[in-house]
Amino acid sequence: MALKEVKTNDKHIRNLANIVGGARSILYHKEDLLAYDCDGFTIHKHLPKAVVFPKDTQEVSKLVKYCSDNHLPFLARGAGTGLSGGAIPVNGEVIISLVRMKRLLHVDFENRRAMVEPGFVNLKLTNSISDKGYYYAPDPSSQYCCTIGGNVAENAGGAHCLKYGVTTNHILGLEVVLPNGKIIEIGKNGIPDSPGYDLLGLITGSEGTLGIVTKITVRILKNPEAKQTVLAYFDNVSDGSRAVSDIISAGIVPAALEMMDKTAIEAVEAAAFPVGHPRDIEALLLIEVDGISAGINEQISQILHVCENRNVREVKVAKDESERARWWANRKTGFGAMGAISPDYLVQDGVIPRSRLPEVLSRINKISEESGLRIANIFHAGDGNLHPLVLFDARIPGQTEKALAAGSACLQVCADVGGTITGEHGVGIEKREEMRFVFTDEEIKAQTDIREVFNPDNLLNAGKLFPSPGRCAEIKKEMKEAAL
Amino acid sequence: MSITESDVKERPACTTTSLSNYRWSDPPDENKWADCVHCGMCLESCPTYELTGQEQHSPRGRVHLIKSVAEGKLQVNEQFMDPVFACLDCRACTTACPADVDVGGLIEEARGQIRQAMPLTGYKKAVSKLFLESLFPHQQRMNALGRLLKFYQKSGMQKVVRKSGLLKVMPDHLADMERILPDIKEPVRKKYKGEKVINAKGETKHEVALLTGCVMDVMFSDINEATINVLTRNGNDVVIPETQTCCGALHVHAGEREMGRNLAKQNIEAFKDAEKIIVNAAGCGCMMKEYAELFREEPEWQAKAQDFSAKVEDISKYLHDTGYEKPQAEMKTRITYHDACHLAHGQGVREEPRNLLLDIPGVKMVHMPDAERCCGSAGIYNLTNPEMAGEVLKSKMKNVPEEVEMISMGNPGCMLQMAMGVQKYGRNQKVVHTVQLLDWAYQKEDELRGERDGIKRSQNK
Amino acid sequence: MITTSLHTDLNSLLPEGQIITGESKSHPLGNGGFITVFPKTEKEIERVLKYANGYEKKVCVQGGGTKRGFGGLMETADILLSLSKYKGIVEHTAGNMTITVKAGTPFHELQTYLAEHQQKVSLDPAWPEYATIGGIIGANESGPKRLGYGSPRDVVIGLQMVYPNGSMIRTGGKVVKNVAGYDMNKLFIGSMGTLAVISEVTLKLRPLAKYESLMLLAFPEGKFESIRSFVTSLLESMMEPAALELLTPSLSETLTGKKCYTLAISFEDVESAVHYQEEFVRSIQPVQTNLDILHQKEAGAFWEKLYTIGPNGAIDSTAKETEAAVKIGVTNLDGLHVLKESALMQDSHNLVIEGHAGLGHGLCQVNLKGASDDVLQAILQLRKFVEQLNGYLIVRHLPYVLRQQLSVWGEQPCHFYLFEGIKAKVDPNRILNDQRFVGGI
Repeated sequence: MALKEVKTNDKHIRNLANIVGGARSILYHKEDLLAYDCDGFTIHKHLPKAVVFPKDTQEVSKLVKYCSDNHLPFLARGAGTGLSGGAIPVNGEVIISLVRMKRLLHVDFENRRAMVEPGFVNLKLTNSISDKGYYYAPDPSSQYCCTIGGNVAENAGGAHCLKYGVTTNHILGLEVVLPNGKIIEIGKNGIPDSPGYDLLGLITGSEGTLGIVTKITVRILKNPEAKQTVLAYFDNVSDGSRAVSDIISAGIVPAALEMMDKTAIEAVEAAAFPVGHPRDIEALLLIEVDGISAGINEQISQILHVCENRNVREVKVAKDESERARWWANRKTGFGAMGAISPDYLVQDGVIPRSRLPEVLSRINKISEESGLRIANIFHAGDGNLHPLVLFDARIPGQTEKALAAGSACLQVCADVGGTITGEHGVGIEKREEMRFVFTDEEIKAQTDIREVFNPDNLLNAGKLFPSPGRCAEIKKEMKEAAL
Repeated sequence: MSITESDVKERPACTTTSLSNYRWSDPPDENKWADCVHCGMCLESCPTYELTGQEQHSPRGRVHLIKSVAEGKLQVNEQFMDPVFACLDCRACTTACPADVDVGGLIEEARGQIRQAMPLTGYKKAVSKLFLESLFPHQQRMNALGRLLKFYQKSGMQKVVRKSGLLKVMPDHLADMERILPDIKEPVRKKYKGEKVINAKGETKHEVALLTGCVMDVMFSDINEATINVLTRNGNDVVIPETQTCCGALHVHAGEREMGRNLAKQNIEAFKDAEKIIVNAAGCGCMMKEYAELFREEPEWQAKAQDFSAKVEDISKYLHDTGYEKPQAEMKTRITYHDACHLAHGQGVREEPRNLLLDIPGVKMVHMPDAERCCGSAGIYNLTNPEMAGEVLKSKMKNVPEEVEMISMGNPGCMLQMAMGVQKYGRNQKVVHTVQLLDWAYQKEDELRGERDGIKRSQNK
Repeated sequence: MITTSLHTDLNSLLPEGQIITGESKSHPLGNGGFITVFPKTEKEIERVLKYANGYEKKVCVQGGGTKRGFGGLMETADILLSLSKYKGIVEHTAGNMTITVKAGTPFHELQTYLAEHQQKVSLDPAWPEYATIGGIIGANESGPKRLGYGSPRDVVIGLQMVYPNGSMIRTGGKVVKNVAGYDMNKLFIGSMGTLAVISEVTLKLRPLAKYESLMLLAFPEGKFESIRSFVTSLLESMMEPAALELLTPSLSETLTGKKCYTLAISFEDVESAVHYQEEFVRSIQPVQTNLDILHQKEAGAFWEKLYTIGPNGAIDSTAKETEAAVKIGVTNLDGLHVLKESALMQDSHNLVIEGHAGLGHGLCQVNLKGASDDVLQAILQLRKFVEQLNGYLIVRHLPYVLRQQLSVWGEQPCHFYLFEGIKAKVDPNRILNDQRFVGGI
């Protein structure tokens, strides 16, 4: 267990420890810090100066103020499941870990809202209110362990955001510690449209660069009356992706519409939650509709019809909740499952207009062929959010660079067809350069201008989200050369 | 030789053995951590992460540290030891992991390195030596300890100690343990000594060998007795091989892998004629199913170990697979079930014991939230890390439903720990082994039948 | 004269016929301009703004003019920039369920176009024939169906804007999910045109509902307990109303002919699901209430009427009395108290007050008509009442003169300095809609 007292000559460590109440709430030995040198994005690593564990807003505010007064770079971290490196201390930051602020503070069923601390785990919210028939809609695949604070920072999505929207559509109010230590409350009392610029919307998805969220009021929803899930197997990818368009064009708004390709299916079937998908199919669709019971069957039969028309090999409706749960566990652990078929993977997160799906998939295929790396595809097909997973082995010299280049090339394809470089994972440090695929220098400056208002000294999570002028272009070039 | 970080940087970022700071044989297996992509799905499953919120105390954090030593970024030292030894070895992360990373295996291998690099000293060494080397592997000594404890209880000394206030000056966790010492009975190995086979009641369908376990047979010989009763009642001849010994789980958990290997070899030999090896202690069963892990550097033994492991089965799973007679007598009790880590996460046995309990008429099962959460026993973890174990137990006890009369489970370590929880938090549940409940139901049925037959007989007269 | 030189300057920037002088010098609602310009291309907007920024001219931005009485402490700016001629659809691929339109496109025009494709923008603003999509977004306007479909911040996925310095800035994109960079769209939605001129808007679409119905549940006795318990049990159920709006007796009379508190419940789904939900409502219908059900077009007609009951800044008012409209935000069910209080004020302040409250989302709209002093007094009293409920009140429509006598936006929040900082970064010369927003931004 942690040492009982802080023994170090570093006065900052001692002072930070005093703020959070001593040795049990601070880490500063290299061995302990090493566990914080990256998050879910493992390609870049950097040691933090220290990790502190505040227990309440006041402590967060004092820590922030101390860092700000002493010009120590700092950043906030939740469960560290982010996939773009947003919580990696690239400047040797003091990490303010919010995982001990994990209480569910208040649930107001009548007005459908709940207030949580940032370290509260996403799925625990639904679990805490499900007995009354309510749930929290945003469901990133990491919901078993990711924190709602992290979800706010990343504006996390999930399989069901096709119908219900992403995190920002479910946030009603925030308490935020600004980079100067000031504590503010926005979206007061969780009432929508409070007068003034929509800081709620601006801070959600700002990847922890504008402030540290310490309380969150979220909307909770009543469970849908009925839910049906369909699994469809296709012998070729384009039939699958055309079925996706057909379903949407039929005026159905599915709760989720997910797709996996052959390589992805190979991984999930080799991993911990296999379903028994046939190995020789090229694509599968997982489609869920929910809503009023009386209307569900009509939608299901429409979906089955669409699949038949697109030469589906086999299509079935989940028999019961346990079958449905197995299908979803299989899908939701898809990224981690890559470990079963490859030592390392790099997941991309491009979004494209749905109608361009077949074209984009074939271009990604080409990138895979050219780079010699396998690329698995798991994606939220309903909203065009692709997750190409570039499989590689970091132990083989040059492969990491190749994978990065292939990932970047996938994003270029997405940008080329009018899409974007990230739909839910965030830019972090991973896609800083790719921001240029979708924004001009002026547009990027318009954003950094806003950061300067909140975070004028850029001590809070610096080096994230935006390309740094000059240097990155060189790295980019090196990467491309390495890939050739 | 020591490798500094600057050396590392100049070399390519791939792992070659030359960088590794693991200096001993049987180091953590690179293929195990290669599966880990650092996704974090394991975090919430880990009791020590839940309590500390610190990632070096999480599965992926530990894997990251273990890997970092191999990459030469860390030394095997005190700071590295802390998170590696704070792991409860509950395997919940293995269940949660989408890529099936064998975190438990890595931890044990790392502990092996630590123990060799930094042998225990002083008090800790003495305690470890006492339990692991001098006690558990030696059945006579265990029995002697049992007799001593029995004497302690029967002689009235326990009462004296409890009144004396001696408990107040003992370390808290030892005092807690004293309070829940089970009633010591005669070990089955002693009782059936010399009996080659304990015959099935009725027609013999199978022959099985029983691992009596070291602690089990001393502290919980009644559970062994119940296991034998249940097995024989369901058509099994039971053999208790004389030369069997402690399974070695505690040694392996503690990093004493060489000792573990010796015990494993002895058991592999002892049970070589058995077709099926029945275990009623989840920890032992799990270890014995993983013997092959110990022999990565001894292929000959590894093959033997694999054959051996294939024969090992938990009692509840065995009964479930081979069929058992459903008891007729009504037990009328409300119970809850706790998943022993090494049964649920270690062996994937979850539904079998529950079904077995539900097959007893009158048993009402109340769901325990987070039933798969570790109780904090974790072998001798509650002796070595009493503070963390206490916290884990505290959150476990919160989930024990108020209204139940019994808590059933399939592991003696858990039973001791849960009994301590019941005592400590003023609860009143009886802690039982799944097989005991079944045995009691059979006994009650027999009694009733006896009475009925008696009545009939008297009526006939 | 200044106007003449301004006119000359602008003449060099825009073609003939797109500049009008003095049209709206002293409009009763203010927010006019000495010169009105009607750009037809983005380049023209850029030129006008670059010019204004260079010469520190104040610019007032307008779409259809419905919100002319919404905020603003300037009667006449140098330039009134009207986007009413900058309209039309830029891009629409039906299969993508997204559309890009020019900001000056009237909402109704947009919906009519989309209806041909069985699609819609899921917003229901007031005065859809007049209101432009740019204005709706700039003022963050929503209607009763916000309960089912959300507000502008939920449907806008991309914006193209001209910054005060004349540069063209895009935020968001053309896809429905996007977290590249800050969610800058949000900053401009509801910013009242104080940061940039929105030129193009990209929206997420929904399929047109296959069937719709409107249930009008009238409570002749006006028992609030009864309304509350009905609403609670409807919300507790798994039914999915698209709107759950309570109308004051006065408004109910205007819309339905019955002068009593009335709940307007909207269902939109496939036909079987709509009827199923109607059945459910019938099954929990409280005693002593009357239930009317309107289907399809009839239901649509009811809502059309509701959207046009408030004041419209684009129509010259003929009423002698002062007209005002306020928007109130409270915690969902507190809307009941707000309506009760508003209805009481009708008599105490000798006003005509019509209001409706969205009990599922907490936003209420109240329209007041009467003598100007009475209107002012009533607004202030209502604000006080709402603040006790921890809510807010903003004035959506009020003549220019009266706007100077109260604070349209209420108190500044403690983080006001951030608003000021943002304004200073984006519009350092304060040329756009100066003093139109919170705290005189």
